[in-house]
Amino acid sequence: MQLLLTRIKLNRLRPVCRYSTPSLNDTYEAISVHNPRLNALPHIHPLDPTQEVNGPLSGWSFAVKSNIASPLPTTCASSMLSSYTSPFSATAVTKLEHAGARMIGTSNMDEFGMGSLNQSSVHGPAHNLHPENGNVLHSPGGSSGGSAAAVAARMCRVALGSDTGGSVRLPASWCGVVGFKPSYGRVSRYGLVSYASSLDSVGILARSTQDIRHTFNIISAPDPHDMTCMSKSLRSRIDTLCASREWISHNTIASEPLKGVRVGVPSEFWVDELSPSAIDAWKRGAAKLESLGCDVIPVSLPHTPHTLPAYYTLALAEASSNLARFDGIRFGTRHPPTQSTRASLKYAQTRTMGFGDEVKRRILLGTFVMSARAYENYYLPSQRIRRLVQREFNRIFAMPNALCTTNTKTDARNVDKVDAILFPTATDTAPVQGSNNGLSAYVNDVMTVSANMAGIPAISVPFGLCEGMPLGLQIAAQYGDDDLVLRIARHLESQPA
Amino acid sequence: MMIEAHQTTAGFKATIGLELHVQLLAAQKLFSAASAKWNEPPNTNVNVADAGFPGALPQLNPECVQLAARAILALDGQIQQRSAFDRKHYFYADQPLGYQITQQHHPIGRGGYVDLGSLDGLEYVKRIGIHQLQLEQDTAKSIHGVYPGHVLVDLNRAGVALIEIVSKPDVDTADEAVMYVRKMQNLLRHIGVSNCNMEEGSLRCDVNVSVYRDGEDRLSGTRCELKNLNSLKVIRGAVNAEISRQIAVVQRGDNVEQETRGYDAQSDTTFVTRTKEAAPDYRYMPEPDVPEIHINESWITRLRKTLPETPEAVMSRMMPQYGLVQEDVETMLGEPGCTAFFEQAVVGRDPKRVLSWITSEVFGQLAYRSQRLVGSSLTVPQFTQIIDALSSDAITSGQAKQLLIEFMDGEQRTIDELIAAHGWEVISDDGKLRVISKQLLDTHPKEVARYLKGQTRRLNFFVGKLMQATNGQAKPQNASEIMKELLEARR
Repeated sequence: MQLLLTRIKLNRLRPVCRYSTPSLNDTYEAISVHNPRLNALPHIHPLDPTQEVNGPLSGWSFAVKSNIASPLPTTCASSMLSSYTSPFSATAVTKLEHAGARMIGTSNMDEFGMGSLNQSSVHGPAHNLHPENGNVLHSPGGSSGGSAAAVAARMCRVALGSDTGGSVRLPASWCGVVGFKPSYGRVSRYGLVSYASSLDSVGILARSTQDIRHTFNIISAPDPHDMTCMSKSLRSRIDTLCASREWISHNTIASEPLKGVRVGVPSEFWVDELSPSAIDAWKRGAAKLESLGCDVIPVSLPHTPHTLPAYYTLALAEASSNLARFDGIRFGTRHPPTQSTRASLKYAQTRTMGFGDEVKRRILLGTFVMSARAYENYYLPSQRIRRLVQREFNRIFAMPNALCTTNTKTDARNVDKVDAILFPTATDTAPVQGSNNGLSAYVNDVMTVSANMAGIPAISVPFGLCEGMPLGLQIAAQYGDDDLVLRIARHLESQPA
Repeated sequence: MMIEAHQTTAGFKATIGLELHVQLLAAQKLFSAASAKWNEPPNTNVNVADAGFPGALPQLNPECVQLAARAILALDGQIQQRSAFDRKHYFYADQPLGYQITQQHHPIGRGGYVDLGSLDGLEYVKRIGIHQLQLEQDTAKSIHGVYPGHVLVDLNRAGVALIEIVSKPDVDTADEAVMYVRKMQNLLRHIGVSNCNMEEGSLRCDVNVSVYRDGEDRLSGTRCELKNLNSLKVIRGAVNAEISRQIAVVQRGDNVEQETRGYDAQSDTTFVTRTKEAAPDYRYMPEPDVPEIHINESWITRLRKTLPETPEAVMSRMMPQYGLVQEDVETMLGEPGCTAFFEQAVVGRDPKRVLSWITSEVFGQLAYRSQRLVGSSLTVPQFTQIIDALSSDAITSGQAKQLLIEFMDGEQRTIDELIAAHGWEVISDDGKLRVISKQLLDTHPKEVARYLKGQTRRLNFFVGKLMQATNGQAKPQNASEIMKELLEARR
């Protein structure tokens, strides 16, 4: 008893640690201690010591965001799917299980991935572990709030999330853990309930970049079930492009492990909403990268200010399409029609009752921008902005975009080009849960949506605390350059801020 | 035809375009591995992608792309080297995803044509252009009226591959429209792309009709769409009825309203099913889960080599080559693989006999077994052996039919083995026959006397007895000759 108390106390006092490897017993203990307050895991898999699979991730525990199909209910935090269990498991989940990792539960989220605060959920809001000694409950971020909170509270070793506009990186920065959104198509989306198909990515949350990397190595693979998943030949071609950068060497001296890497600081991310602590972290991060051997230079991405409205237009349009299948007829919660109506209105009641307000709001907006009158004025211009955002990244990155070229070699270095960019993950630290409403909730995405629009890999690395609340810095790089992102992140996190 | 007269005397002409929805003969669906087989127990060929379960994704079936490409080549269209899919959104019980994956903007095929002429029953020559050919998903089947207030949904058909063939508005009359459809049926069956069976639903036809005053622009009239036309007869009736209706509207000074209409065969009129205002906004969006299809020249070249001769080419060649009439070749063209079978079997044989045996006997057996020629157990050698045995009188017509049945039942023994097994060897040994014949003459003196007195038909009596005595195995001709000879000898 005495020992248990001490261990709990130690967990609470320790800052977010990045290298510990708790056993499954520790996992279930952490769950019983923290989950009631954080509400991170709505469904918990009972501990079954008999089921052991040997593999590279033996002994690892993982949580799965509720919008990723698994043996446990895939609720998407919605009343529509509150008792729905999928007949198949997501590719990412199956791969982790085959590697020996154990699924310990599903994690809380904003309904259907729509939200940045983990506030709208049929399971109730999730909460942030931080401030660790405080009484006021803060948002863990969203939409993968539950996954981030669970990892931060050591309820699992890693967690799967989904990132459409920042839903892995934002909660990671607010909960003080690492959150990685790989390049679009690295990890199969088969089994991920689609929100915006061309923007969605399965993401990983963990307490260290090494844990992220090990998990990524398992789940990043071709999958014929997902036609947008990178093929073997594309992955090969990208590897060659990466390796042909002669100025990036892996044989560097210990004191300058990132020598040769050029990092850009995109000026357009210096938005009015940036808090002093975010700006400070940004500056300290740049300085740290310089000390690690990087050249840090300013870069420009002029279409950054247009990206957020374009993102929301496209994401909501795709969402209205992807959520059209929820009618209660073949699966999910059915609410019979209140009156005898035409065939097409027979599911109106199911959708009215089954979807939360935020989801309905987004479906209506998405339907509107797709309508005949609005298509030319909203949807098409947003697609053009998206194309421009992709081109801007192609202009600043030294490595070409494998999707836009048949080159197998990166050209000689151009002085204006960079290998990666550094910028904050969020404009501020986590707000108090329940305090935010209206448009301000959407603005939280301003720092993260560009990476989804261009499909490029991006990671949020914890970079200190501000008044007890964590914040993170983002590293992003060219499409397919996931390895470099992880490598820079590793060094950025390795020393305390 | 009454309608023709009406059109010219009233000074009106019609502009007609057709949209054919053709189910492909692929074993699996367009975007899922579920079976595309027709007429199976409801909701047994359904996969998570067909039913729109959360997290399921579409997986393009390459066989469907190949079949669509074959159709494009056969219609002399251009296979687009880049094509892409769109989502067409609407809510309905037969649309589990809330959208159909189709190719509205970037179809796999553009252009092409179908020529109609004397071989199709047209006194003049007419070319009907094709606007585009696109791949798309079929809907589920929704059945109304079985349970009051309920709609029954069978998802077996959801996601089955269709090609939609959109013609240019080049058709002028209902007859031409019907000929176009029939021609398309023959062509697509011939190249193995579809069964094109309107009763089974593997071919569905929508027709757009407008009228205009003679002398004015063909496209100046407002068009109406006729849907749910489920047979060639209905197509003809509906198009004619609609032309009449539109002419009457214009003649009394009204405007034709753009509508979707159905056809009531009983009253021979069309009726409104949907007005323009109620037409849905489909909110087309590029399909984000399926990348573009890229097709290169060498793939097209290889595919072209696998295409069989067109029905026209077959017709023009075979008619003079074998002295057949159009109907004969058409009948054979209706059964995939048949013309090839014929051409192999006919070498060194009478084309008329070979044709007759194929189209009456073989087709009869296929129909009885609900089989197709391709895939039946009958081989060309088996067939030709029967014909040869029959031609050389080694077997009778009845025995030949019996052998055909046995071969089609899967009999693997040779024809000689079967003849022996049945004990059908023909007694051609004259000596033996003479002995039996003499015996018969001796045992029927009264009949002999009658013959000799002048009742020459008594010969038949003796031939019959001889056949009886030999279990039908004497060659009838031989038997007759021998009997006659022996009878005459007794004068």
